[in-house]
Parts: sequence; C-alpha cells; structure tokens
Amino acid sequence: MSTAIAAKGKSLWSDAWIRLKRDRYAMLSLAIVIFYSILAIATKLEWVASPWDRVVGGAYAPPSFDKIELWGGTDIFGRSVLYKVIQGTRIAMSVGLVSSLISVPIGVTFGAIAGYFGGWVDDVVVWFYTTLSSIPSFMLLIAITYALGKGLTSIYIALSVVAWVGLARVIRGEFIKHKTRDYVVAAESLGASHFSKIFKHIFPNVSHFVIINLSMQFMSAIKAEVILSFLGLGVQGQPSWGVMIDDAKLELARGVWWQLAGATIAMFFVVLAFNILGDALRDALDPKIK
Amino acid sequence: MFVYIARRLLHAIPTIFGIALIIFVLFNLVGGDPTLQMLGKHANAKQITELRHEYGFDQPMYVQFFEYLKQILTFDFGRSYATKQPITQMIMNGIGPSLTLAIPAFFFTTVLSVSIGLLVAYYRGRWIDRLMVIMCVFGMSLSSLAYILFGQYFLAYKLGWFPIAGFETEWPDRFAYVAMPIIIWVVLSLGHDVRFYRTALLEEINQDYVRTARAKGLGESKVLFVHVLKNGMVPILTNVVIEIPMLILGSFLLEGFFGIPGLGGMTLDAIHNSDFPVIKAMTTVEALLYIFGNLATDVLYSLVDPRVSLK
Amino acid sequence: MLTPMFQKLITTGVACLVLVSLVAGCTSKKKDPPNTVHLSISAKLKGLDPVNADDMYSGIQSSHAYEGLLQYHYLKRPYVLTPNLAESMPEVSADGKTLTIKIKKGVLFQDDPCFKATGGKGREFEASDIVYSWKRLADPKLTSSGWWVFDGKIVGLNEWHDESAKAGTSDYAKPVEGLKILDRYTLQVKLTQRSAQILYALAMPFTFVVPHEGPEMYGQEYINHAVGTGAFKLQEYDPNSKVVWVRNPTYRKELFPSEGEAKDKESGLLEDAGKPLPLTDKLVYQILVESQPAWLSFLAGKLDLSPIPKDNYSQAIGSNKQLNPELAAKGIKFAKEPQLDITHTSFNMTDPLVGKNKLLRQALSIGYDDVQYIETFYNGQALAAQGPIPPGITGYDLAFKNSYRVYDVAKAKDLLAKAGFPEGKGLPPLEYITLADSTSRQSTEYMQKMMSAIGVQLKVSTYSWPEFQASVKNKKGQMWSFAWGADYPDAENFLQLFYGKNGSPGPNDSNYLNPEFDKLYEKALLLQDSPERTAIYQQMVKIVVEDCPWIFGSHRLNMALTYPWLKNFKYHEFDHAKAKYYRVDPLLKK
Repeated sequence: MSTAIAAKGKSLWSDAWIRLKRDRYAMLSLAIVIFYSILAIATKLEWVASPWDRVVGGAYAPPSFDKIELWGGTDIFGRSVLYKVIQGTRIAMSVGLVSSLISVPIGVTFGAIAGYFGGWVDDVVVWFYTTLSSIPSFMLLIAITYALGKGLTSIYIALSVVAWVGLARVIRGEFIKHKTRDYVVAAESLGASHFSKIFKHIFPNVSHFVIINLSMQFMSAIKAEVILSFLGLGVQGQPSWGVMIDDAKLELARGVWWQLAGATIAMFFVVLAFNILGDALRDALDPKIK
Repeated sequence: MFVYIARRLLHAIPTIFGIALIIFVLFNLVGGDPTLQMLGKHANAKQITELRHEYGFDQPMYVQFFEYLKQILTFDFGRSYATKQPITQMIMNGIGPSLTLAIPAFFFTTVLSVSIGLLVAYYRGRWIDRLMVIMCVFGMSLSSLAYILFGQYFLAYKLGWFPIAGFETEWPDRFAYVAMPIIIWVVLSLGHDVRFYRTALLEEINQDYVRTARAKGLGESKVLFVHVLKNGMVPILTNVVIEIPMLILGSFLLEGFFGIPGLGGMTLDAIHNSDFPVIKAMTTVEALLYIFGNLATDVLYSLVDPRVSLK
Repeated sequence: MLTPMFQKLITTGVACLVLVSLVAGCTSKKKDPPNTVHLSISAKLKGLDPVNADDMYSGIQSSHAYEGLLQYHYLKRPYVLTPNLAESMPEVSADGKTLTIKIKKGVLFQDDPCFKATGGKGREFEASDIVYSWKRLADPKLTSSGWWVFDGKIVGLNEWHDESAKAGTSDYAKPVEGLKILDRYTLQVKLTQRSAQILYALAMPFTFVVPHEGPEMYGQEYINHAVGTGAFKLQEYDPNSKVVWVRNPTYRKELFPSEGEAKDKESGLLEDAGKPLPLTDKLVYQILVESQPAWLSFLAGKLDLSPIPKDNYSQAIGSNKQLNPELAAKGIKFAKEPQLDITHTSFNMTDPLVGKNKLLRQALSIGYDDVQYIETFYNGQALAAQGPIPPGITGYDLAFKNSYRVYDVAKAKDLLAKAGFPEGKGLPPLEYITLADSTSRQSTEYMQKMMSAIGVQLKVSTYSWPEFQASVKNKKGQMWSFAWGADYPDAENFLQLFYGKNGSPGPNDSNYLNPEFDKLYEKALLLQDSPERTAIYQQMVKIVVEDCPWIFGSHRLNMALTYPWLKNFKYHEFDHAKAKYYRVDPLLKK
C-alpha cells in the first residue's frame, strides 16, 4: 500500500518536472532564482561586494565603466551602488527564506490539524486565521514592527505572521478533501495513528501546494521588505533595496537616479522570475488547471 | 436571505472580538508613551504624571480594554495624541478627499485590468501574454516614487497640464487636483490587477462549457465576454469587494506628495508620530470594513452564481 | 489580431483617462484679491490655540490671530522687544520682582459668534483677559506645552496649578496673588525672583491673549478656531491642507516701522514706513509636506517665498555661490541669514561608561568631522559650532576655538588610548539613538563612518519621534543627535541646556551636572544684560566645552528665495506674525 502512495507522489513530481523543463521561460526564471540565491550566499560569505561600505569615489558619482565598483555609480558617501544592490539581494532573499521557514511549518500544521480533525479544533483555527486576515496585512506589519522594535528580525516575524494564513487556508481545504479518500481510510484500517496519517499519508499528496505558495511568498516578502524599509520601519544600518529607494526620495531632485534604478532593476528580475516560476509551477503541479 | 445575513452577522461577533483583542495587545501593551511628545521640549516629571492620569494610562489593562471595546461600539475613538482632534471627526474629514481619488482610480483600474486580463488569458502562453507579464512586473517593481516625481515634474510643472499639488473642496476644482494622482494610481496598480484577473479568468477559459460554446460555433469574442466573463464574475467580485475597504486607506504616497488631505496621509502621519489612537482606530475600522465586505461578497455571490447556495 | 470587442473596450478605457485629463483642465478659478500673499508650510498643523503653539508652524499660524503684550521689532538687529498690546514697555520695580504693565485702550477682539452678549461683535480687550490667558497656560486640563515659561516664576500661579490638578477642575475665578488687576487697563505681575528673561516670555505665542468667550463656547474644538486681537481673521482652516487668513477689519491702528538697520533703507525695506498694517488683504498658506511639490510650486510662481530644499540646492545656487541664471532672470532674490540654533550629539552623562569617561567623550568629539558633514548635508551652508551659543546672541565669542572640535584622527586615537581603549579595544559598541526618516538615517551612517575610523563601533536603535523623545527622557542609550532653536535671543536659553536642575525629562537631555556651572548659571539668572553677565556666560561655555557632554555640531543658515513682487521680506527668528508686514505688488506679478 505504502509503495503505491510513494509511486503516486513520485509520478506527480517527476511529471511536473518534465512539464516544467519544457517551458523555456520557467527554466530561465529558475536559473535567475538560483543565480540570486548563489549571489546571496556568496555575499553572506563575503566573497563578493565586500566591504560594501568602503568609499570608492566621490559623492554621487554617476555610473561609469572605469572600475567594476563604479558601474552603478556612488551614493551620498561615495560608496558603490552596485555593491549595495548586491548586498540588498542578500537581505531580500533572506527575508523570503526566513519568513518561509517560519510560516510554512506553522501554516501546514494549523491547516492540517484543522482540516483533518474538523469540529471545534477547526473552528478555533479558522476563527484565529479569519481574525488575523481581517486586519489589513499592511497595518498588521506596522503594528508588529512597532511591537518588536525595528530591524530585520521583526520583519521576518511580521511577514511570517501575515503569510501563514494563506497557506493554512489552502492546506485545510485539501485535507478536508483528502481525509475521506480511500487511501486514508485504508491506512486507518491498518491502524495508522493520526500523526502518521497527517504527515505520512495525506501531506505528501498536498505538498505541492506548499511549493506553489512558496514562490508567491518569496515575492510578496521581497516587496513587503521594500515597503517597510521605505517607511523607515525596516532594515537598519544595512543596504536593502527599500532603503535605497527611500534614499532616492532625496536624491532624485538633484538628478541622482542610479540608486533607484539599481534597486528597481534588481528587484524587477527577481520578482519577474518568481512570478513566471509561480505560474509555471502551478500549471505543472496543479492538475486542476490544464 | 435575511436569516442568512443575520446568521453571518452573528458569526462575525467572535471575529470582531478577536480583532479587538489582537489590536489591543499590539498597541496598548507595547505602544509608546505619547505624553512626552505632547508636552514638548520643556516637559517636567510632574506634568507627565498628570497627563498619564488624564489619559488613563495608569488604569489596569482590563479597564483599558473595556474602554477600547466601548470605543468600537460607540465609534468614538477619542482624540489623537498628535493633532488633538477627535479621531472620528478626522476619519470623517479624510474619507471625502480619499474617495475622490480612490473611487475613479479604482474604477478605471478595474475596467482596464479586467479587459487586459481577458486578453492575455485568451492569448495565454503567446508573446502578447509574455510581454504583458513583463510589463506588469516592471510596473510593480518600479517605485511609485519615480512615477510621482516624474508626473509632478513633467506633466504638471513643465507642461502645466495639471496643478502641481493641493486640494480644493469645491467640485470642478477638486477634480483638477486629483486628476494626475488618479492616472498615476491606475498605472501603478494595473500590474498587480492584470496578473490577478489573468489567473482568475484562466480557470474559466479551460472549463468544459467554454469548449462547448466554441463547439457550438459561437464567435470568440462572444464566448469570452458572455460566457467567460459571466462565470469569471465570482473571482472578480471577490477581488473588487475585498479591495473596496482598502480604498478608504487611500494612498500614502500619492496623498502626501499631492497634498490631498485624505486618510492615507493621516495614517502615515500617525505612523511617523507613533500616534497610537489613530493607528488603532484606522486598523479597527479597516478590519470591520473587511468583515462586512466579505459578508457583502457572499451575498453577491449568491446573486451572481446560482450554484452557490445559501447554507 | 485583436478582436473588435477588445479594441472597443481598451479604447473606452483610454478615452476615460483622457476625459479625466480634460475635466482636469476646466476649473472655476476663484479670484483672490491681487495683493494676496501665497506661502507654504511644510508640516501639518496641530491647532491654533496659543497655549499649545509649541512648534514653529503652529506658532506662526496662531500669531496671525492672536497677539502678546510685547513683540520684536521687525527690522532692528540684534533683536529688540517693543510694545504690542502693551501701551509701553513694562515698568520694572527696583528689586526687579514687580512688573507694572499698562495696556492699549480701545483694542477690539475680532468679531466672532462666541461674543453672544454683543451679537457677535468683538468686545474691548482688557487686563483681565491677560490673567485669564495666563491661567490657561497653567491649567493642567489643557496640558500646555508652554507652561515652562511661567512655571515657578509668578507668585501664586503654581499653587493655582496644583489646586486645579487636585480638584480635577480649574477655577478661573480664583485670584492669583502674582497677577493683580489694578484697573481695567493695568496689570501688576509679581515674580518669585528677579528674572532677566521674563519680558521675552511676553512676546512668545504661549502668552498671547485669548478672550474667555472663545474657549467657553468652543471647548475642545477651540483648537480649530481663532479669536484674538490680531491683524488677520481666519477664513478657512484645514490642518492637513490649507489655511486662509483675511485682513481683520476691526484691527487697531498699527504702523509699519520707520526705522531699522542701516542696510534696510537701501534694500527698500522702509518704503512702506508709516503705512497701516496689515499691508495685504489675504494670506493663503498651502500645506505641502514633501519638498518637491513645494519647490515646483514656487518655481511655477504659485508661492511667493520659498526656502531652498537641501536637495535642490545645487539647482538653485551655482558653484560660485550665486543664484543660478535661470532664477535670477525671473528677478528672484536670494537672502541668507544665520539661524539662532545649534545641532549637537549628546552623551548620556548618567551612563556609567560615556558619562564617567571625559577622555572618551573628548576623543569622540575630536574624531567627528563637522566640516565634511556641513558640506554633505547642508551644502556648506552652516557654521561649525565651537560652543553652545550661536552667533547673533550676546555671549558668542567669534575668537573662541574649541580644541576638541578640530578634526584630527590621530589625536582622537591618542585620546581614546588614554581613555583606556587603545584602537577601540575593550570598548563595547556604543548605543546611538536615532530617528527613522531618510535624512536621519543618512546622518547616522555618517556618524557610524566617523566613529569606525577611530575604532569605535556604534549600535544603532531607530525610533519614531515620540519613541526617540521617550528614550532620551528616560536616559536610555548613550548618544543621540538633536537640534535646539532659540526661544528668545538670550544665551541663557542655550546655557540652561546644561543646568543640573533641568535634567531629564527637562531640556538638559544629556543630564550634565557640574556644581560649578550651576552656581554660575544661578548667578547669571539674576543679572541684566551687562559685560559682567557676558563674562560669566563665556566662563560657563569654557567649562562645558572642557567637560564635553556634547559633540557640538553646527549653527545653520536660513536661505530664502523671494519673487520680486513680494515686498518687505526680512528673515526674523522670532516674529511669527511677520506676514502682516508683507505686501505683494500686483504690477510686478503678471
């Protein structure tokens, strides 16, 4: 019995992979995402764009091709905009990653137990996430960053609090559908525990929703970080894209466009890639849309 | 129908209570002490104690929570720390200007993005679809600031098509001042909405009834507009109704840069001033509107789509 | 390619947008009188009640409708007080503790529905109105941010305040010993001790005169009304968008001054000498918080007067420090005046580390380059401060150089080693508190850069303005940056920032405490302006500079651009009602 389930799971994934591989745009997007991730790790390990806070030229020097540091021009203190953009990649990717790492387990667990057990457990979980999602996520983000103090940690937590609701809702719906299916009933007759039914049997069959959700979440996390930093509630003392765009508010008036351009272009490609990838994943994994 | 609505309202009560609890915990337990700001640079310790007493900060937490519940029920949120105006009055004053900007902008955005969404859903996977995705994402990535500064500098200052900034309460004039912000708003939100409607309509285009309609030999545009759009109304309506409460929030940046005295600018000021009563009131009002918006959606569903029954 | 239906739909959409633009074009312009003055404000307003005119913007707005007993002469420098609602300057008794003030007769309050007895006609202003207005300042219910101007200074007023706080209501009928009405037009003020600064208080918006009918009728809503004796009457008030003032038809006869500084005559500031005020019929203030719309509105001629935003400086002023030719061709005039202020970085003197280690503070002070800061953030338009007293105030010493304000990395490192932290070793990161806005973030980065150059790391905490104030007043954090603008032109206003008894939550935010300094301060408090007092002031400056509770920053310059049609503009630090002197020449404004 269990081999049959495994086989089913495998074929879903390998089918999806074959479909995905056929889509050139999706593969290109995947490559971009991988590139950004590598860049983020390399920055974290201080292999590239380090140190970013070194003075490489005069204040507000326009982009030039003399030196690699000057490709993106310099900021108010003569620091390399290119390096700051690369450093911003690290923050953007880490915000996406950490907030997913926190919100996915929470979302899956709550969604699963609510959908699986039903009854009052379901009522409580649904009440809780309806309440949370009724508060505009923007205001919730602000409130949480106030409560926890400003900085990267608060952003991680705030984004996770906002993000788990969507996933929990989807997972709960799928669990309600799956728990009456034959294979679950069969597992139960073989004496499988609740825990084993939830995580060993049902979850592998709905796990693709996590993947679809993930690419969306990365995207919204990156955008939310930019907005929060722009409002002065975000990253402190590190060069994030949001902070760079905030700087542009002062700089554009004097014709300094390169910080805005750098951050925007960097953000454009990664958001675009996650967008296309998200669509492609949905197409490949969700048999409903065909 | 009436029973249905009544039951849904009853269901909303625990949610509203939950919202109140979360907002209270977030703002009252952690909220900053406004007294120092109110007393200015020459404050002294005695004055601070007096003011804290005046505002009831020395009361136990449960008393403060009941006070807040009372505020929600009576829709009287007290006075702002920063402006000292009654908050309900501030919200009332801000709704007009905010909606003057938001309603036309929202209307144009929805009409445009549904039509573009339909278009790209139809040509799914082809170059026009890809191009639209790229354009939408580009639109979403480019900071709204760039649009605002550009619009203000070229369209308003250099070309003189629009006033640079400001607001008038009288009618034809009022429109002149919101015209450019409306256009910027439409351009800004097109990206997200087109993406959303594309996905929603895609689900419909692949349904059997569309194939049947095509098989019957109906014209392509008729299939799209009559069949797909009608059935796609449910997700469209959901999105529209959910976005409507957000409209009164206005736009932080647009209102700030164009000097429109709306709720967006008010909320932004409140954030900058740690003006908790105002942030709290705005969050509460938004959440309540969202709940009632959801209720309205469900009722509308049943009208648009007979498949949804009133359970 | 596109089906016709799509085309139709998209065309409709585009047509709608075009329609928006067209409707935008047609407006029913209301006509303003030709001599209307158009100005802008860069912050939203917090109400018009003088007792809470804490920030400059609210102060300016309430000064259009309300007046004080004294005012500053508009043209003379250094700043000098002249009578306003007072008939003449107050008579000070020999012991300096009693002031006798005669007020002008026949001054009327503006017409307002609150004057029910006269059917809305404003009644005559009398001495009792002053007593009422000053008691409002002391009223605990109103939580005035200006109570400090009289706190502890007038006999019996503090007792009145305490009793009101205890009773929960304020009894305005209860007499205060120090505020005695001798007759309808004479007030006698008894001070608890001699004070050289008390007269300045009478020219501050906090003490401006309010008729009791106003607050009685409007209650808490009084912040949205303005009923005073001033030159302008409120016509339109939206604290978030616009304020419109019109000439007060019942304003008393007040004339444009006929003397001023020597240069005023040639610059045409005396052309309107002797003419009745206000010179303009209407004042329109637009509230534009962001600098770009304000700047563009000025360039488009919609505003008559504008400061130069920091980030538009290079556009407005060329590298030769002259107005750029495009602006000069429009006839725009450029005026640059020193502001009476100081920016500074405070050390928390109650902190066991920075508060107790003078060498460390001196090291950090020497390691901070203010000249480059001024270049980066003020376009070179500021003066590096040597001590707390800005130029333009008696007590400022041009020759004085603060030896800890000469940027020198080597010397800073040397002092740091002497302080016990060679190359910064053993020194934990210092907690630096700052604000969340873009400019503060950039100057914080600058501070971090400066400090790390001498081996000192900063731990930055970012707050909103109220949180920032709260943490400073609660003595949290080790360093933070601030600016102080003069309340009145007396060095005492700057030196009190170091007076021990003014410690947190008072204005001495670094909680500097030096008994020697305090003794001198208390001594100077009792002295009138004299060479003796100036000598004491300079001695106090030397003590503070040596102890280094602050890294002294800069004294900024005010830069203003005016169109040629705006007449009589002159920078004034304290006169908030200066718009009554402005005039627009309609012939020059076409």
